[in-house]
Amino acid sequence: MSRIPSYPDVESREEVLAPPGRLRSVPGMIRRNPLLAVGAAMCLAIFLVAVLAPLIATYPEDAGSAVHPLQTLEPPSAQHYFGTDQVGRDVFSRVVYGARISPLIAVLVLAISVLIGVPLGIAAGYFGGWIDEVISRVTDVFLAFPALLLALAFAAVMEPSITNTVIAISVTWWPWYTRIVRGQAASVTGRPFVESAKATGVPHRRILLRHVLPNSITPIIVQVSLDVGGVILTASALSFLGLGAQDPTPDWGLMVSQGQAFFTTQWWLVTFPGAAIFLTAVAFNLLGDGLRDVLDPRRVLTTR
Amino acid sequence: MTSARFRWMVVLAAFAVAAAACTGDEGGGGTTGGGTNAEPDTFTYSVTSEVMIGWDPATGYSNEVIALHNIYETLTRYNAATQEVEPLLAESWESSKDGLTWTFTLRDGVTFHTGNPLTAEAAKAAIERTMEIGEGAAYIWGAVKKIDAPDDTTLVFHLSYPSPLDLVSSGTYSAYIYDTTASSGQDLGDWFADGNDAGTGPYMVSEFNPGDEIELRLEAYPDYWGGWDDADHYERYVFRVTPEANTAAQLLRAGEVSMVQRMSPQLWASFEGQDGFKTESAPSWQTLFGLLNTADGPLADPQVREAVTKSIDYDGMIAALEGAADPLSGVVPPGLWGHTDGLEYQQNVDEARTMLEQAGFGPSGDALDLSLTYVKGDADEELVSTLMKSNLADLNINLDVRGLQWETQWDQGKSANPADRQDIFIFYWWPDYPDPVSWFYNLFRTEKEPFFNLSYYSNPALDSDIDQASVVAATDRDQATQMYGDMQQVLFDDAPAIPLYTQVYQRAMLTSVDGFVDNPAYPNVVFGYELTSAA
Amino acid sequence: MTRFVVRRLALAALVVLGVVVLTFVIARVVPGDPAATWAGPRARPEQIEKAREELGLDRPLPAQIAEYVGGVATGDWGVSLRTRRPVLDDIGRRAPASIELVTIATLLALVVGIPLGLVAARWKGRVPDVGSRLIAVVGVSMPSFWLAIVLQLVFFQWLHLLPVAGTYDPNLDYTSPLRSITNMPIVDALLTGNWAVFGSSLTHVILPAIVIAAYPAGVITRMVRASVLDTIGEDHVRMVRALGFPERSVFGRFALRHAWSPVVALLALVFAYALVNTFLVEAIFNRPGLGSYAADAIGALDTPAILGVTLFVAIVYVLGNMIVDIVQATIDPRIRVS
Repeated sequence: MSRIPSYPDVESREEVLAPPGRLRSVPGMIRRNPLLAVGAAMCLAIFLVAVLAPLIATYPEDAGSAVHPLQTLEPPSAQHYFGTDQVGRDVFSRVVYGARISPLIAVLVLAISVLIGVPLGIAAGYFGGWIDEVISRVTDVFLAFPALLLALAFAAVMEPSITNTVIAISVTWWPWYTRIVRGQAASVTGRPFVESAKATGVPHRRILLRHVLPNSITPIIVQVSLDVGGVILTASALSFLGLGAQDPTPDWGLMVSQGQAFFTTQWWLVTFPGAAIFLTAVAFNLLGDGLRDVLDPRRVLTTR
Repeated sequence: MTSARFRWMVVLAAFAVAAAACTGDEGGGGTTGGGTNAEPDTFTYSVTSEVMIGWDPATGYSNEVIALHNIYETLTRYNAATQEVEPLLAESWESSKDGLTWTFTLRDGVTFHTGNPLTAEAAKAAIERTMEIGEGAAYIWGAVKKIDAPDDTTLVFHLSYPSPLDLVSSGTYSAYIYDTTASSGQDLGDWFADGNDAGTGPYMVSEFNPGDEIELRLEAYPDYWGGWDDADHYERYVFRVTPEANTAAQLLRAGEVSMVQRMSPQLWASFEGQDGFKTESAPSWQTLFGLLNTADGPLADPQVREAVTKSIDYDGMIAALEGAADPLSGVVPPGLWGHTDGLEYQQNVDEARTMLEQAGFGPSGDALDLSLTYVKGDADEELVSTLMKSNLADLNINLDVRGLQWETQWDQGKSANPADRQDIFIFYWWPDYPDPVSWFYNLFRTEKEPFFNLSYYSNPALDSDIDQASVVAATDRDQATQMYGDMQQVLFDDAPAIPLYTQVYQRAMLTSVDGFVDNPAYPNVVFGYELTSAA
Repeated sequence: MTRFVVRRLALAALVVLGVVVLTFVIARVVPGDPAATWAGPRARPEQIEKAREELGLDRPLPAQIAEYVGGVATGDWGVSLRTRRPVLDDIGRRAPASIELVTIATLLALVVGIPLGLVAARWKGRVPDVGSRLIAVVGVSMPSFWLAIVLQLVFFQWLHLLPVAGTYDPNLDYTSPLRSITNMPIVDALLTGNWAVFGSSLTHVILPAIVIAAYPAGVITRMVRASVLDTIGEDHVRMVRALGFPERSVFGRFALRHAWSPVVALLALVFAYALVNTFLVEAIFNRPGLGSYAADAIGALDTPAILGVTLFVAIVYVLGNMIVDIVQATIDPRIRVS
């Protein structure tokens, strides 16, 4: 349960009348949504840091397997902006390279969740009947499962690694998308024009592709952008517990975990990687919040 | 939320804060030193992990030893400073010329916590039971053929081969004397498991809360033979489990605990020279090895093994541990007889590269894949593994480092299928009694089924040397020392294991704790009776 | 209505059963032999075999599952491999403290989140709105383990204001021992009038509660804001405003009343979420509770305990969901029919 869903979406008239995704003027958007602008800017910054890591990091090899046992646990200085860790590696460089890992995990997890959850949700919402029942029950079981526990159990079973972190989190994440999309699909399916299309024998595939899916996309997009922060937090929690990336991968959660033993005497070990996690999550949450406002200002959507 | 409700919440919150302030607390910790413990006659020992893994003194082979050595006593006790065995429950002893008969004279007036007197008969029964169950370190009594108790204070051991029984009876494990009649009818093992004790030691169990932070409370045994009036002894002994070094340090700072078993070198250094606190450091006999798989995989090739021993930055490792470790020469740690200098491996990257290339590996050859396992959660082992991984990476060796639960790591090492086993097993060893044979017998002796010999090393010549040396040790310690020196040379040349370091104990305590001496023969044991409270 | 409740109950039972089966399957796949763990580290092969029989591990999987489910229904949740006590006993001992912590955290989240959400909705688009939403985002983005450590650093190490860890000062066990009635330290201290422990417990619960409350507070803020905005946009509120009622009373009397419902719905789920989050928090703050019990169980691969905790949390979640559904159905009859 790394996320809390809201109460079921209630259809309102506005939703039918206002088509989603109308573009407004950009400066106007920024003025109306300062948070979105800030979020977008931060996300861009993180993206740039990740891509330009080799240029920004002062000691790129420290993000790999290099160690410097003679300069362990040095406080932040001009040579090492964020100090050095317990084997002498430059924390700043490792934090910079870490920007490649967390968003990558988030992208993979959400891609998998969408690929699994959305088709299931559409099937459940559109076809209804026993297909809906079965899918919904299975979804309920996965939703009821304490997500962190499930991810932990998976991670404990499999060897700790980034790949297995992605799998473990994806297993617990896809049910949300099924649920959201199911509601969407069901409400679209219930509309008169869809019913008449079915009645006149339009093939399911066409209805699904041309009507149901496009109307379900907006909540998916918003949800994905809101979820990035959540996935990053869950992944770093798993790494913190030692079940995700392993040394020497410069994963932020792992770095906080390794620094925890020293936090009273060498505070920089936990502060900077943790701040990185925090700021990344803030960036994507602001982006998601802002997107939701822009795309569907009147909807009460599943909040994260 | 209505304003009424809001107001109510504010009131409740204010009340709570006021109540907290009034009823006082430990002051939120971090107060200045001087650290008066909450109760002056209680010694509180902050330990890093659960204490009572087992309760049976015959089979205990784990952390419970730090409690058992305060509840139970052995016939003799080893003094690492003088390297002499000293009397404890036995006042004196002598052995026959051939080392096959040992006679111990027991102390008078000793009683068990059960009320029964300590007699030779009782001691005999305890040791015989330990031997019969045959678990834990019972093998240390392996030479004993028969025990006689001709009178209440005389205990005679008849051995089938010479064995240094003075050292054996001072053992860390499986050498306790306990009252075998304590359970009156119920199976003694079950009786112990219920949380009972039948020792002669200065403290007895007063409260046991498994899984709680304050796991075990001991209280003074009023009829202890040593008496309580001669000095200001601690009347209560409390074990507080605080795995988090930061928490332990703060508890010490606040005066909540008297002494901390282990904290990071950085935290320990922060107590040095501070008012109200004392710091001590002493070398231990806890040695860390990287056991190399000599039976299967790339390390079965002695040349590859030797190359690996030359690729590790030993100096860097010691430096990174910042005082928590000393370099280790050979296998036997300094301070124990049998230690030999000059047997450290040195890093020599050029030679390592050459040797690897000869075997087809190295930077210009194939990549070499090795797997290493260590105990998850052990920060030192993790550090060592990280450093090794980096050192080996420079030579095109991919070290796959895996941190596992001890049981899992051990299971993998004991796998029936050799292909499932690791290449390098990071492993601590310390002796069961003050004798170098412990390393050789447990780690390097041929085993049909792997147990602790996790380098799977088999050297028949060494096997017979091991047997011989342990026999010689009973009668001629100097010659035994010589033999162990030679054996360590053999291990140095064959390289089944890389001695990484000897752990250095770094203890921090309140100034009110007087008389503490670290005894490496009893790792992490704080003998409460030896301390005096200067509070 | 009864049919609705019965249907919900049946569904809930089905879901819990599904969770049990799923957990069982995962647990059996876990490496490490429960029989070996039970027999002890120095056990001989024969002893391990005997343990395997005792634990019923030699039976086929469906039989094991059936046996487990049957046991659960009658109160036998297995015996922990680590503590050697019945799992249900262990949970009964440990869960109340966690529930207490989570309740306090939930209350804290409400106390912070609701006002913030109201402020954001009332002054939508203006500074208070942006400020509140920013705070909400901060709460939702905070890695809990990092927040815990930072709070410890600030309030304990640097400011010396609050204790670093623990449930209450353990020395009080001697000077002012707490009598356990409910196994909830604060509640018990109140019930027995043990003010020393009460005060100590409160200072010890502040930091963990803040850490757990951060995320829900953020979510509640957003939810309240969205719900109130939605309600305000509705016709009847528009009408009241058009009739000339002052904004304050439009907001206070009409918007607020209807904003409750989604928050209620959220509560049960916040509670369940927080319960799971105790896992990390209890470990960092060294508080014995369900979370640290689960952490120890997973670390020791203590399968029965892992199963038990998972089952417990799943039941809490499912029950919470069910209660929410029923409450909402009571308020809004439309839902009963859907």
